[in-house]
Amino acid sequence: MAQYIQSGEYDATELDGEWIILNTDNYTVTKINEVGGECWALLKEVQTVDSLTQEIGEKFSSAIPISQMKKDIETFLSQLSECGLIKNVD
Amino acid sequence: MESIYVNIGDHVLHILLKVQFPYKSFIKNFKKILNKQSNLEITIYDDYGLPFKNYDVEITSSSNQIKYRRADYLIQVDKDFKHATIHVHNELALKHAMMNLYSAFLVHNKWGLLIHSSCAIENGKGHLFSGQSGAGKSTAAKLSFPRDLLSDEASLVKIENDSITVFNSPFRSELEAGDYQGSVELNSIQLLHQSPENNRVKLDKSDALIQLMDKVFFWPHSPEETKTIMKLLSTLVKQVPVYDLSFQKNNTFWELIS
Repeated sequence: MAQYIQSGEYDATELDGEWIILNTDNYTVTKINEVGGECWALLKEVQTVDSLTQEIGEKFSSAIPISQMKKDIETFLSQLSECGLIKNVD
Repeated sequence: MESIYVNIGDHVLHILLKVQFPYKSFIKNFKKILNKQSNLEITIYDDYGLPFKNYDVEITSSSNQIKYRRADYLIQVDKDFKHATIHVHNELALKHAMMNLYSAFLVHNKWGLLIHSSCAIENGKGHLFSGQSGAGKSTAAKLSFPRDLLSDEASLVKIENDSITVFNSPFRSELEAGDYQGSVELNSIQLLHQSPENNRVKLDKSDALIQLMDKVFFWPHSPEETKTIMKLLSTLVKQVPVYDLSFQKNNTFWELIS
């Protein structure tokens, strides 16, 4: 299973439950919501879709089916990759 | 050689002018004082470069010095921001170089930011009008008459954990600095959009921070400096509401503010 981790130098700021991620390597900013912020914090260490799904499922007990949560996390990870915030560590 | 002490924000700058021309219209916006204890000493020479070409600033740093180089100016400042020299081509270069140096000085001291905006005082509180060139900063400033103005182009904002205040800015575009002294509490920030109707909408803090990032005058030479700017902006938007302001070219927008 694909593994991911944060890539580069970052500074994260929390404002009213949303997170602003500043990449100090290329001077970009990315805004993410509270659950995204939690995923982001976990990605300081190597994670997989499964490990993130489990952690997020425990932290934000919701009625969303696990399969849907996995899909959402996969989508989120591909967006973070596009923004250059995480890298694949296969 | 002329030696003057001037007050900006709550700092004292010692300016040594080793120049051929008097630069009177630049100097007159600065408040001269008798204090001989300065926070930053700046020696200015007008022996450098070409007329204005573009805004590109090349920044290099060594173990004890940072250099900011543009076609029409060169700034060399010690890393502790106590001593600097500025070499310029002309008066425009001198103004821009002083803004560059002073904004770097503010961020170095984590004091605050120079924000691309005008600022008017209403009932003892400051209101900022920000936007890119052409958005209407000077227009909003002119339409704010007879209110006192603290800036028409670059506002001087002091950012602390328990207060945000604005000082009179010597960095002027069209409207000369008045002699307003001291500072006022900053009450609101408006991001300007000219429009057939007046409308004011409050932004989420995160959007406010992102919108303000490119309104700050700064030339980052290190990731630490950029992080400091983010922290200052975050402290700012936690305390001061930021609005999108669509406004007609007349003074009725004040009805939405005060």
